[in-house]
Amino acid sequence: MSLVLGQRAIPRDTTLWEWFTDPVTWTGSGGILVSLGDTVALCAAVIVASAILAVPVSAYLAHRRLAQVTSAWLVNIGRALPTFAVAALLVPISLRGGYGFEPWPIFIALTLLTVPPMFLSTYVAVKEVDEAAVNAARAMGFTERAVLLSVELPLASTVIFTGLRVAAVQVVATEPIRAFLGGDGLGRYIRDGIGQNNATLTVGGTFLIAALAGLTGITLTAIERLAKPYGVRRLRADRSSRPGETDEVDVTDVAEPAGSHAAAGRLR
Amino acid sequence: MILVTQRNPVLRWSYFGEQWDRIQAAIGEHLFLTLTPVAIGFILSAVLAGIGLRYRWTVGPITLFAAFLYTIPSVAFFGILRTTPLGLSIYTVLIPLTAFTILILVTNILDGFRAVPAPVREAADAMGLSPVRRLFTVEVPVAVPYMINGLRIATVTLVGLVAVAGIVGRGGLGNLIMEGIRRQFWTPLTIGALLSIVLAITLDLLFFLLGRWLTPWARTARS
Amino acid sequence: MPSLLAAMLLLAACGNGEDTATGNGDIPDGPTIEIRGQDFSEAITLAEVYAQYLESLGYPVDIQTPAGFRVEAISDLEAGTLNMIVDYIGGSQAQLAPDSEPSSDPDEVMEVIRDAYADIDATVLDYTPAVDGDAFVVRGDLEAETISDVADMGLVLGASAQCFERPQCFIGFTEVYGIEFADTQTIEFGPILGEALAAEEVDAVVWNDTAPQIEEFGFKVLEDDLGIFPAQNIAPILANELIEAYGDDLVDAINELSAMITTDDLLAWNFETDIEFRESDDVAREWLEEQGLL
Repeated sequence: MSLVLGQRAIPRDTTLWEWFTDPVTWTGSGGILVSLGDTVALCAAVIVASAILAVPVSAYLAHRRLAQVTSAWLVNIGRALPTFAVAALLVPISLRGGYGFEPWPIFIALTLLTVPPMFLSTYVAVKEVDEAAVNAARAMGFTERAVLLSVELPLASTVIFTGLRVAAVQVVATEPIRAFLGGDGLGRYIRDGIGQNNATLTVGGTFLIAALAGLTGITLTAIERLAKPYGVRRLRADRSSRPGETDEVDVTDVAEPAGSHAAAGRLR
Repeated sequence: MILVTQRNPVLRWSYFGEQWDRIQAAIGEHLFLTLTPVAIGFILSAVLAGIGLRYRWTVGPITLFAAFLYTIPSVAFFGILRTTPLGLSIYTVLIPLTAFTILILVTNILDGFRAVPAPVREAADAMGLSPVRRLFTVEVPVAVPYMINGLRIATVTLVGLVAVAGIVGRGGLGNLIMEGIRRQFWTPLTIGALLSIVLAITLDLLFFLLGRWLTPWARTARS
Repeated sequence: MPSLLAAMLLLAACGNGEDTATGNGDIPDGPTIEIRGQDFSEAITLAEVYAQYLESLGYPVDIQTPAGFRVEAISDLEAGTLNMIVDYIGGSQAQLAPDSEPSSDPDEVMEVIRDAYADIDATVLDYTPAVDGDAFVVRGDLEAETISDVADMGLVLGASAQCFERPQCFIGFTEVYGIEFADTQTIEFGPILGEALAAEEVDAVVWNDTAPQIEEFGFKVLEDDLGIFPAQNIAPILANELIEAYGDDLVDAINELSAMITTDDLLAWNFETDIEFRESDDVAREWLEEQGLL
């Protein structure tokens, strides 16, 4: 019993250090480890689902230069959709349908949050692929399908992945609303901290989520670098060896999240 | 027991008439809470970007700091500030909202200035423009579309985040959304959500038009 | 410039003139009464009832947008952003004197909170006959009448985050009643508690006994046979500056109103706001009219 209690509520004068160093904080059903697992699992599922929903459709439409205005508008509306309201509206529906508090309402709401930016970055990335490369492929007799799959997508992959990374960080930072809607995950500490007026829990929970979001960004950046298609890497290397452009290249990494945003404007 | 009943439809139209004063006040507050942080954030970001362009090595730390601010969950940011002496005051909402705009605005402003081709800059120097004149007559115009773009993204993002501030009772249309959740009363929730979408799209369109008006050359070049 | 200044002075003068013109002649000048409902329907209706009543008597009243709960209400009272709050006395005790002995006798609770509020320069006025007690709510078909009956049923408990740190709530259930819950779930306070109970996500929830959904959903409230729930009558709390400015007239007027509010009134208000989905200000005005107070 005291074990359950230890996780549900802590004295208000517990310091952050005491909280983080107490093994009870980390273990058990309400512990950090389980909560972290819950959060990571949901966020990963959301990102995978959004990528499956957004990337193929968007890449195809961009390749055919279809639905530019329509998709820009849909993406815009999607971006303005208040996630919390969507999730909150879905919770009672899910409860009445016998699906419980989790995971569907929050999963759908977060997926709706991530699909628009991923759709947009894919669309822009494919559309902005150097026309010369596309025409060269066509001249070499590539089918349209091959142009999309072996030329446009590889060349666009960096920007698409950057869009995915930005979306992933946003999902991790937004996922805590789940705890306010009958769910678990790392947001539980923020919820309990606010509810119990306990700053240690609120700040501790915030720290955990900010850290996870930061770690997500760093990990995905690392994967992005490692997984960059060989040809694209060589292309970059060629470019950076050209005189006069070297210092432009060394800042692109930092500027990348905005790069996809900046590109976003050109679509609209 | 039925979720959507005659008493509790998804949208009760008469609510608009009955509660128009509240809806109007909510829209006003939402606009204020969106545009004020965007304006303050833009000024701060311009300063930060200026530092970044002048001292190259600061770009990394500035972006990192802005990215850190952006990872703080908004519910937590509001939740922490409400326990400080700021309480439920307007600053509890304005501070986090401003912080969230910085990453978007700084990166876009930096991108804008980086987009100035080196030959253009050199040509301006060759024509004998002072650095200040070069900044305002050559570099800023090139950067404007990027800045407008940053403003558009920041504004649309903030319209959504202001709604979250409903948890501290200072969320404009978010107050209606939270009230709907609290009472399981769908009408205010639907109205709050729909109007915030409308608001986001309207503001986005206005910034888009502002961008076109500021860069008439872009239109002629394209056509 | 001088003409602008003159215009501003004129405007200011007009503003002052208006203030005294609208004020009732019998009421001395004093600070505006700043009141705000806590963020749930019953508390909002209560704030409206007190505010509209005082307004009709001619006091200057500002009803702020409902926000936050007891914590924010009390800290804003202390900070001076509010000078009148309405709270449940047992809740006030748990907040202000968490180590004091909880009691189901309202007078004992009042004794504790009177001193606690005096410390922050505020005065608790008389409590209402109306009680909105905490309630241990289960589905209608559960074979239990008292909380003791469920001690070894292995129920899943749903309650708000506050409950889990309180001896008048979760700690009381486990330590006083010796209940072993199979699991617990944190759910935001409000109608969603009922949704969770109906959907069998949880088997019991801690709610308030004036929640109209309890009857609507066919739930039942178990008897607190070991008496861990505190007395939850309602009391208005005024910053001393208001009492100093307006004197006993204000205190008497508020006490008169408090004496008229019954538990049935709370149930009726909550039915209007949370089942019929009408607005708190309308419900409050109608009730005041029925009582002949407006």
